Amino acid sequence: MIDEFSRLSIGRIMSVAFRSAKVALHHSFAERKTTIKDLSMLMQRRSFLSRAGLGLGTTAAMSLLARDLVASGSLPTNSPGLPAGISGSLSLPHFPPKVKRVIYLYMSGGPSQLETFDYKPKLAEMDGQPMPESFTKGQPIAQLQNAPLKVQGHLTKFNRYGKSGAWISDFLPHHRKIVDEICIVKSMVTEQINHDPAHTFMNTGTAINGRPSIGSWVTYGLGSDCDDLPGFVVLTSVGGRNPQPISSRQWSAGFLPSRYQGVEFNSTGDPVHFVRNPDGVSRALQQKLLDGIGRLDRHRNELVDNPELATRISAYELAFRMQASIPRLMDMSDEPQSILDMYGAKPGDGSFASNCLLARKLAERGVRFIQLYHRGWDHHGDLVRYMNMCGGFTDQATAALLLDLKQRGMLHDTLIVWGGEFGRTPMFQGKGGPGRDHHIKGFSMWLAGGGIKPGYVYGETDELGYNASVDVVHVRDLHATLLHQLGADHQRLTHKYQGLDMRLTGVLPARVVREILV
Amino acid sequence: MTRDRRPLYVLALQMCAAVPLWLPSVTVAQEISSPDFAEQIRPLLSDRCYACHGPDEKHREGDLRLDELDGVTKQREGGRIVVPGDAKASLLIKRITSNDPAEVMPPPESGKSLTEKEKLILRAWVDDGATWRKHWAYELPREVPTPSVDISADIHEPANWIDSFIAQKFSAVSGQWSPQADDITLLRRVTFDLTGLPPAVETVSAADLSKFGQYERYVEQLLASPAFGERLAVYWLDLVRYADSVGYHGDQEHHSTPYRDYVINALNDNLPFDQFTREQLAGDLLPNPTEEQIAATCYNRLLQTSHEGGVQPKEYLAMYAADRVRNVSGVWMGATVGCAQCHDHKFDPYSDRNFYELAAFFADVDESTHLTKGADASPTQRFPEKDFLGRVERQQLAKIRTEIQSLEEEQSRLAEAVTDSTKRTAEQLASLITAAKEQEQAIANQTRRAMVTVSIEPRVMRILPRGNWLDDSGDVVSPALPSFLGKIDRGAGSPSRLDLANWFCDARHGAGLLTARVFVNRFWYLMFGEGLSTSLEDFGGQGDAPSHPELLDQLAIEFVRSGWDIKHMFRLLATTRTYRQSSLESPWHRQHDPENKLFSRQARFRLPAEFVRDAALTYGNLMVRQVGGGSARPYQPGGYYKHLNFPPREYVHDKSSNQWRRGVYTHWQRMYLHPMLRAFDAPSREECTSKRTRSNTPLSALVLMNDPSFIEAARGLATNRLLDSTADDRLRLNYMFQLVTSRTPDPLEYDVLRQLLDDSRQEFRGLASEARKLNAIGMMQTGELKLDAVELAAWTMVARGILNLGEAYTRN
Repeated sequence: MIDEFSRLSIGRIMSVAFRSAKVALHHSFAERKTTIKDLSMLMQRRSFLSRAGLGLGTTAAMSLLARDLVASGSLPTNSPGLPAGISGSLSLPHFPPKVKRVIYLYMSGGPSQLETFDYKPKLAEMDGQPMPESFTKGQPIAQLQNAPLKVQGHLTKFNRYGKSGAWISDFLPHHRKIVDEICIVKSMVTEQINHDPAHTFMNTGTAINGRPSIGSWVTYGLGSDCDDLPGFVVLTSVGGRNPQPISSRQWSAGFLPSRYQGVEFNSTGDPVHFVRNPDGVSRALQQKLLDGIGRLDRHRNELVDNPELATRISAYELAFRMQASIPRLMDMSDEPQSILDMYGAKPGDGSFASNCLLARKLAERGVRFIQLYHRGWDHHGDLVRYMNMCGGFTDQATAALLLDLKQRGMLHDTLIVWGGEFGRTPMFQGKGGPGRDHHIKGFSMWLAGGGIKPGYVYGETDELGYNASVDVVHVRDLHATLLHQLGADHQRLTHKYQGLDMRLTGVLPARVVREILV
Repeated sequence: MTRDRRPLYVLALQMCAAVPLWLPSVTVAQEISSPDFAEQIRPLLSDRCYACHGPDEKHREGDLRLDELDGVTKQREGGRIVVPGDAKASLLIKRITSNDPAEVMPPPESGKSLTEKEKLILRAWVDDGATWRKHWAYELPREVPTPSVDISADIHEPANWIDSFIAQKFSAVSGQWSPQADDITLLRRVTFDLTGLPPAVETVSAADLSKFGQYERYVEQLLASPAFGERLAVYWLDLVRYADSVGYHGDQEHHSTPYRDYVINALNDNLPFDQFTREQLAGDLLPNPTEEQIAATCYNRLLQTSHEGGVQPKEYLAMYAADRVRNVSGVWMGATVGCAQCHDHKFDPYSDRNFYELAAFFADVDESTHLTKGADASPTQRFPEKDFLGRVERQQLAKIRTEIQSLEEEQSRLAEAVTDSTKRTAEQLASLITAAKEQEQAIANQTRRAMVTVSIEPRVMRILPRGNWLDDSGDVVSPALPSFLGKIDRGAGSPSRLDLANWFCDARHGAGLLTARVFVNRFWYLMFGEGLSTSLEDFGGQGDAPSHPELLDQLAIEFVRSGWDIKHMFRLLATTRTYRQSSLESPWHRQHDPENKLFSRQARFRLPAEFVRDAALTYGNLMVRQVGGGSARPYQPGGYYKHLNFPPREYVHDKSSNQWRRGVYTHWQRMYLHPMLRAFDAPSREECTSKRTRSNTPLSALVLMNDPSFIEAARGLATNRLLDSTADDRLRLNYMFQLVTSRTPDPLEYDVLRQLLDDSRQEFRGLASEARKLNAIGMMQTGELKLDAVELAAWTMVARGILNLGEAYTRN
């Protein structure tokens, strides 16, 4: 039995051996359309390899070969035989990337910009007075429909911190430590005012369902650097006000091939569905089963020579590697106590803090897009109480993640995004104690890491924090910027669907927010 | 002149050094020298030009329109856009070949460009006389005689007229049929295709397809099987985005299963497609509608709804209207009218007005109640709803009522003669009647609820500028067809949903033939793995032209002529020589027809998600066949619904025999589709899906390896074989393999599995407790069978090996 390590080694050797053949292959076709032919030759090589008796290692070799082909641009994104989990798009990156990966801290529910980053002295002055109609007339509104609208002053204190002197509220004390690392954007706008479509909009660029999420676009375009984990991983945690639902649509591959969908890692039960062997079956026996399946499928394929079957064989091998690598990854026992304390993580508790630590480990392993959801930011009432809770759950770990990546020399090639699906109204809403309703015309997010200006504040809202008024950043602009940092031009990262060249940023104007880039 | 130039193109092309070996069918010279308008020219113009010079009036540049002949031949400053027969004099050619970045079309900033070859093709088209035809999908199918091609039909390889069209295309490129598939492959293929299930072992061993008429008789059996309706329903339910939950926000359950039963029954009854259409879109408007016709109208309610607090009714009613237009146009027109929600369509002649006029057909559907009477409950309420009895229950009820009636008649006869003996009989009768009435009540209580369509005073439908629901400045519109497709004349009144349904299926005065073409293409896809046009969802300008346009037309005409007989169409397709071919690829295929555009072989692909499940349950002898009924809840990982709220949800898997029902009945939670279905590419059913992706991912491998449903199926397969006490290991193993693959294992296959058996025995012998753990997965009770735990576990491992073979779930 070839062990995993030597299997990979054989893979690499084979990959080198075929590089020259691959180059020849590439040059013999004048047009990129030759992919199917390319691929069938690839598959012929693969069945040659299995006939040559190289056993399990051959498919690993082929996946590496395929990855090389992808990297060289001679394989398209959606070739039918591409090994699962390892693939990317034609001619990407479009330009040198600034970052290798994204960690997206998704504050689900819509955190209040007016209790985090957007300080408005005028708001306090007008506390309790009617909200001027000039702001609200004809504007979309959620739960405050038909209610009197009055101004709600800040529900906490703000201060300036760091060299940048950016305003941070008392709900986020640990942000003081990272204020000079992050770039706060105060002028975000979105188009959807209810949670569900707003999540869809923030993640896919449209409120129409069935479109790919950012993470899917990114892995579709760039593939993943990891051979035994999915390229797009979603982690979720809870805590705070009766949390609003989230949908797997938010990490769906939409019309892109399914292998680009986000894979949710669970903090309880099996980390990934069905990743654990059935009760009573040891890893050794499961391996024998898998070897048997592989031998039988390969044997059959010598007769039928079906590229799909070849893909299947490599999918099984990757699945088996995942069965080993995922539990290892979830195991925090080798993390020193100081690191656990830094994050505030208790292994296995499923908290946002543990997920932040897990995100770092995923980043180290080469996972391309990691999205962490923390639900509970929907504060229609009792905002102070729930902001304390949400801050308590997320603030320390957020800062720790950023600083930990920095101390490991990984911040410079990681992009961190922090934000929700929308913000909250400057107007009072009173379910329980004072709170705020959904708001889409101006809210705050922040970015940090590779290529982003550290200690920088971009954009402004008006004096009451209602409308983004200076340097407005639309969700599409955020998407364009995010792709840009990864080396992808949002106008060229496309996929044909229903006759259209679909893209994350759609057809309406979108721009890279160059002002926040180094 | 044009003739003289032909060699030049060829020469030019050779100079490009781009004569790719892989080019199928037509040679490069042919492709460039006499381009086909529908296949080559229109798609080019559409893709590269129509975004700015197409149907979208508001974004049209330079008042130039290239999607209509008038626009193309228009006189402009500096000449005419296209002078038929004279490329040199045509502005179009001048602009596309210009070297000046300010002049060249498409402009560099559009991100679009034309390759040298494409420019040559356009030039050749103009020189050839610039033939112009309407977009193929908007032209009515035209009847043509069946080509007189030798299709070598004989008793061993029977064929029908469809094959003549396929063969005709072969002759141009020296293609040929693949040999007929072997009996096992063909039987598995046709059984999977028509029923979604594997064939019974006995069927395969008894079959001899070389016997005249045997295959055809088998096809008839399959078409008559209730599994046919279930199989085709899976496809239909994808189109109409059928699900058990609302889809937005809390994703609460809603009531819809009677609709699923309606679809399965209608397909099994072979309800003509035009009537099937009418009943779903407008069953409530038919005279004296039956229960089933009312259940059919649940179609209009299947859209996604939100029960989130704080939704603005006006916004959501606008979203619902758009959802309906996307679905109706996607299902029946193969059109993407949804694109015109915010702007005129870029590639097809649908204006935003057309979009809202189409939406107006559905403005009378009562849908707004839940927006004001919302409840954080699951199932939620979406009035109007109605309780239905299933077909089986209705039959049982009718039967018991007849019985009660006759018992009561007997009773009244007895009442006339009072003797001691009749008294006793009367008492017995009375208790029988009581029991029967209790039974009647019990059956009558087995209703299931479904949302239905009730027509109310139509909502005002306005054009929403840029799709903005806050903007009330747009015109109020009434129901109308997209103008280029025709008109429904109702005098002073507005046309109704029923008129729309009739128009979809009226081949004389309506779009019947176009609708038929959309559907026969989908039927073809289901039987051949790919459509004649690959764009099952988009017959618009950006859709792919069909590989065999004349055949597609004849099939559409046949469908209408047969009286919209769905089974007839499947019978026709299943009995072609084209269908019966082998799916193996030869070097010729790989070189000349890698995408199988010629259909010179059959397709091979993994089964759709539901049929993967069905196959495993069948192999494991667990399948419970019951047509219709409530949704089934197979095992599902705990906590999978943890992100749902309002109310929080806990999934409880079925503890009854409902556990082992076909995939088509699986509870469909839009936001969190069952992980097994999701891993095998089943769609969330938020939007119309006409073609699923087919992927092979590690996640699907994990399902087959470790999902309890599949472990249990393996145990079922093992148990079944162990019960045969006369069999030895070899017989057991061979038969088990045969149950799954329909064939016996070859020596290597036998050895591999035998080794797995020995290894497993060895492992479990030392660890009987582990064996018992494996044997305890799933609800299937085998304890009373007193099987040896180690043996059962070891054979379960062998069964797992067989149940994980690609062959078990591949349709070849």
